[in-house]
Amino acid sequence: MTEAENAQPNPRYESQPHPRLLERKLVARCLEGDALAERALYDAHVERVYRLMYRMAGDGDLAADFTQETFIRAFERLEQFRGDSSLATWLHTIAVSVALNGMRKVKRTQGRTEMIDDMTSLAAETYRFTGDLKARLHAAIDALSDKLRPVFVMHDVEGYTHEEIAGSLGIPVGTSKARLFDARAKLRVALAAFAGDHIA
Amino acid sequence: MSAEHNDRIDELLARGARDYNQPGSVPRDEMWARIEASRRARSGQTTKPVRTGRVARPLWIWSGVGIAAALILSVGIGIGRRVERATPGGPLPVAANTGRATPKTDLAVADEAERSAAAGTSRDSIIGKLREETKGTDRRAHELASRQLSPSLEQSAEPNLAYRLVVLQHLAGSEAMITAFRTAARRGDVDVQLASWARELLSTTRMLEASAATQDPTMKRLLEDLDLVIAQIVQYATHGTNNSEELDLIEQSITSRGVITKLRGTVSARTSAAGT
Repeated sequence: MTEAENAQPNPRYESQPHPRLLERKLVARCLEGDALAERALYDAHVERVYRLMYRMAGDGDLAADFTQETFIRAFERLEQFRGDSSLATWLHTIAVSVALNGMRKVKRTQGRTEMIDDMTSLAAETYRFTGDLKARLHAAIDALSDKLRPVFVMHDVEGYTHEEIAGSLGIPVGTSKARLFDARAKLRVALAAFAGDHIA
Repeated sequence: MSAEHNDRIDELLARGARDYNQPGSVPRDEMWARIEASRRARSGQTTKPVRTGRVARPLWIWSGVGIAAALILSVGIGIGRRVERATPGGPLPVAANTGRATPKTDLAVADEAERSAAAGTSRDSIIGKLREETKGTDRRAHELASRQLSPSLEQSAEPNLAYRLVVLQHLAGSEAMITAFRTAARRGDVDVQLASWARELLSTTRMLEASAATQDPTMKRLLEDLDLVIAQIVQYATHGTNNSEELDLIEQSITSRGVITKLRGTVSARTSAAGT
């Protein structure tokens, strides 16, 4: 390739502006009151937010409530979005906070804590890897603390990276990794006793 | 626990976790409609006008408007019932305010006075609240009508969405005031508060009539009818004479022009047209 050819701007990059730039433009249009831009922002992120809310809540109505509240708050506070992190990360920070507070309000966490206590007493029994074992695993995930469960759900269930989780939860990447390690350890203990048959 | 054992448990974990609270399809439009309605309710404002040149509005806008209009409709219709319920014995015939010939015992008179006093407070507070609610609409209507329409909006096949929503709110508020007036007039207790409320609505009605944004001939006719009826109510309420002939004339205007039916029909039809 000659020097002149090297000097030509690459059309591929020209036609694809940086996602952060597009994001800033979209946010600016939303702040100007452009309803189409608001809908575009919503469309771009709603699926991922809703999926996470559903995984956290385990209930369609609650997931919808949390998702709606997330976007309502996001639009209210959009002026505060500085662009230091991605819009997705910023939205997820709001979403996780809404979900955790919401779940506390409906007192599901407390109910699920009781389930894990029951489960420990049944640990001597053996189960096949059928609905029973899966139900036990899900109950054990439900019973994880508010610090561990979001990390486990985001990483092992929804496939977020530690960087995304750290940004969304406002914690260092190392803390996200440590919490995932702890969560898995607790789930291993909860499963080990009655998964023996399957493992063997 | 051996490393192999741990690996197997991890495998189980990975397999089982994938099904954890498996989400179904995302109810995008339903959630967006609720987000829009909630944001409007929180801010006390209507949807901001779209600034792009696109004329056709997507379904989600209409869903939002539909929900808001349905709320307005239910409020407007419910308002009259609340006012009527707040009046002991329900609505009375017009002739009832000319006096009662049947003598009453002291106890019965005392009971009625007590109930009337309680009902009076309730009615006043309801009318006060309703007036405050319609004041917000009046302010918004004045803002929108006095604003110079942008060329894109003037050329648009669709009237200004915010404007239409305010008109619907105004119609529902007017229906509430007329119902409250009829109930109060039958009892002979049309007061200053109701007179002020009617004046405010008359001002908004006239402003909407004169506005360039009101291009629909059916809406123009309805606003003209509303203008006439509310003007009569203002006159009646301001003079405070409780003249039954004047009251009959107002009733005649309301019924012959089918004002209440048209108000409810218009709000209902436009709600349906909005896609609910």
